[in-house]
Amino acid sequence: MASAASANLNAVRETMDVLLEISRLLNTGLDMESLSICVRLCEQGINPEALSAVIKELRKASETLKASENSTN
Amino acid sequence: MATLDQKSPNVLLQSLCCRITGKSEAEVAHQFQYAVRVIGSNYAPTIERDEFLVSEKIKKELLKQRREADAALFSELHRKLQTQSVLKHRWSVLYLLLSLSEDPRKPSGRVGNYGALFAQALPRDAHSTPFYCTRPQSLALGYGERSAGLSASVGTSGISSLGVYTLNGPTATPQSLLSGQPPQSAAAQPLGARLAWALPVSCSSSSALAPLATRPLLGPPVPSSRVVRPRKDGEVSEAALVRDILYVFQGIDGKFIKMSAQDNCYKIDSKVVLCKSLRDTCSRLAELGWLHNKVRKYTDARSLDRAFGLVGQSFCAALHQELKEYYRLLSVLHSQLQVEDEHGVMVCTESSLTLRRLLVWMYDPKIRLKTLAALVDFCQGRKGGELASAVHSYGKTGDPQMRALVQHILSLVSNPILNFLYRWIYDGELEDTYHEFFVASDPNVKTDRLWHDKYSLRKSMIPTFITMEQASKVLLIGKSINFLHQVCQDRTPLGKITPASNSADTPRDTAELLSDLEGAFQEKIDAAYFDTSKYLLDVLNRNYLLLEHLQAMRRYLLLGQGDFIRHLMDLLKPELVRPATTLYQHNLTGILETAVRATNAQYDNAEILKRLDVRLLEVSPGDTGWDVFSLDYHVDGPIATVFTRECMGHYLRVFNFLWRAKRMEYTLTDIWKGQMCNAKLLKTMPELSGVLHQCHILASEMVHFIHQMQYYITFEVLECSWDELWNRVQQAQDLDHIIAAHDLFLDSVISRCLLDNSSRNLLNQLRAIFDQIIEFQSAQDSLYRSALEELTLRLQFGEKKQQKETEGQWGVTAEQEAEEKKRIQEFQETIPKMRSQLRILTHFYQNIVQQFLVLLMTSTDESLRFLSFRLDFNEHYKAREPRLRASLGTNRGRRQSNI
Repeated sequence: MASAASANLNAVRETMDVLLEISRLLNTGLDMESLSICVRLCEQGINPEALSAVIKELRKASETLKASENSTN
Repeated sequence: MATLDQKSPNVLLQSLCCRITGKSEAEVAHQFQYAVRVIGSNYAPTIERDEFLVSEKIKKELLKQRREADAALFSELHRKLQTQSVLKHRWSVLYLLLSLSEDPRKPSGRVGNYGALFAQALPRDAHSTPFYCTRPQSLALGYGERSAGLSASVGTSGISSLGVYTLNGPTATPQSLLSGQPPQSAAAQPLGARLAWALPVSCSSSSALAPLATRPLLGPPVPSSRVVRPRKDGEVSEAALVRDILYVFQGIDGKFIKMSAQDNCYKIDSKVVLCKSLRDTCSRLAELGWLHNKVRKYTDARSLDRAFGLVGQSFCAALHQELKEYYRLLSVLHSQLQVEDEHGVMVCTESSLTLRRLLVWMYDPKIRLKTLAALVDFCQGRKGGELASAVHSYGKTGDPQMRALVQHILSLVSNPILNFLYRWIYDGELEDTYHEFFVASDPNVKTDRLWHDKYSLRKSMIPTFITMEQASKVLLIGKSINFLHQVCQDRTPLGKITPASNSADTPRDTAELLSDLEGAFQEKIDAAYFDTSKYLLDVLNRNYLLLEHLQAMRRYLLLGQGDFIRHLMDLLKPELVRPATTLYQHNLTGILETAVRATNAQYDNAEILKRLDVRLLEVSPGDTGWDVFSLDYHVDGPIATVFTRECMGHYLRVFNFLWRAKRMEYTLTDIWKGQMCNAKLLKTMPELSGVLHQCHILASEMVHFIHQMQYYITFEVLECSWDELWNRVQQAQDLDHIIAAHDLFLDSVISRCLLDNSSRNLLNQLRAIFDQIIEFQSAQDSLYRSALEELTLRLQFGEKKQQKETEGQWGVTAEQEAEEKKRIQEFQETIPKMRSQLRILTHFYQNIVQQFLVLLMTSTDESLRFLSFRLDFNEHYKAREPRLRASLGTNRGRRQSNI
């Protein structure tokens, strides 16, 4: 039971490593945590198109927020 | 982090938001709401759920970035990933990564303005869709539901949120994706074309907007060349061209695209530097302007021209309607352009109007305009029914779109025609100021020729969807109504004639009627035709005794009333033998009345007897009364339509012929009577027996001939034709049928009575025979006169002799006896003269009869050939006439061989 769980955990970790590598190759700009959240969302059947759009928008939004903060500062 | 526990997507999303923006949960509330909404509205994925495809795309993308080593590395990693069974949606994750990938060599500093827009639009969205804020736990995952929710929100927010949606679209970064997705854009193209197809058909502007609003969902926008292609100096931007084109669409010259007078087309200024493909696209689009101008010119020229008529006006109106739809589309495009201007360059890159897009959207309007232009060309110089025919001929296309368009125009165009038609068949009124209807009226025609000449069909104006038969029925219906009103003075309210008129007066949908030309329309016309014609015939028969007049014609003018004719002849004989110049009409009229009163004719309708009159034909020198006398029948009012002047002329000719034939019969009767009376008296004069025998023979020859002739005329000609006429009149459905039947009757009577041109020879022979009979009559009369004179003298001589003997004197003196002998001698000497005269007469007569027979034999009319058999029943003439023998022989031989 425990060995099965650990094997599973290993597999998960390996998968995440591979995905992180791909992500790096593709220059997506996602860190491990965001990536894992995204993977979990994808696994729940979220449309990746929509998700990618959301992420882009979020980035843009934070960028503007930062810019505005900078300018106000 | 490493555990793949089943957290709710919302929690995950929220943490994602925090992670990316680097803010606390409270601070990212707006962003979170937005994220939930976008994920919730979850556009149906536009891509194949194929891991292999996605991985191939990633490889291609890497190769494009000239990172071959990375590509190899990726495929290695991918292979490794495939060996793991942890992920269920590998394609999904890969796709996400691909979507987020960025070319490291490209500067990523193009984000700033988007964010501003995004932040701006966010509160508004939060307001318009509070649904997702209140229920963050329930992320609807069913695709259909989601897309429905999306389209609903598009519908309510309308164009104001257009810009936001284009931003939020799944293809926010088209450049990076497009190059790797040729199959996707190819699949999206027909969808877009289909929407553009629907665009001009829909009338309301809101529905016209819909395709524009939903457009970003259909996939990546058509690649805009101006973004991809580096720009040369002095080149015109595509945006400027689009602006120009939009003006050209309305027939206004643009800055670069101008109407070229010599080539009669829109051309881009040759000085403008432009690549060939854009130039081509522009000229393809500019065709719309040319087509628009063509249609517009036509309507402008015609809509003020009143003489163009109602049909033409409605054609122009239909064209205007189509143009209005076209303008509506243009205004939508214009407003789109406006929106782009306001939002600046950024929006243009993604959803702006490009020439290619216009090409797609304007495809259908172009087809429509093309059809209209072709229609306009074809209808040039036509009006009225002709115009409707022209439009109708264009409706015979297999393309349902075009057919619907043409049908629509046709229904507008034919509306006035149907209005004319209903006015005409229900009220008999012709309000056709511009001569567009297919019934024409000649105002110069008086009422007496109303039926025949006043109304006619304008063949060219009969629309092709109305058959010739229907058209003539329509003509007949209105004509009948007018005839009733103007000639019969019948003032029955129209509703009584045609009960259907009320329902049909309500303006029906013309298109509906047109689509059912075989059924409802035909039925309507038939009903109106049947009712009106029946009513007209009723009025004519009831009030104007048409059938009685017809019978009267037969009885009086065609000598059907035997006792009357005989009596009239008896009474007229003393008058008619006198020279024609001494005849007076009033005397003859008196005799006519006496004849009527003495015979069965007196029981006839007074209305008919009133019309019976005597008429004297033109007198030429030497004519006797027989030659000029004629009965006449006055016709006026409605029945004169059947018995036209022409018809009466025919009747007069037939009457003269029949009257002459009748006179021959009458003469021969007299001859026979003389022979019978005198035969006994003249027995005492044996020297006359030879002459008298000759007379008898000739007379019976003539009697035979005339009897057969009379038989032929009465039974073969008159009665047969009359029977046909009567049958046809009984079955007649309208007045035209009666007139036709009557004309046919007269024609057949004329031709079979040998009165037409083709049998002029026969008639001449017959006339000669009649003359011979008259001559014979006078010859026989003089013969009898001298014979009877001689007889009385002899009797006187004998009486005197006897008287003297009883007185005891010598009966005769020698002197007296010599005188007597001398007289007898003289008389007997006249006998050979008489004989030779008779022989000559006989010879002539027989000659003429033989020629007549020859003509009869060669005649084409069967009944005439049969007449020849009857006339020569014992082959008496055949024995004398070699020509006759030949023709008769061959004929009989043929008949025998047939048997």
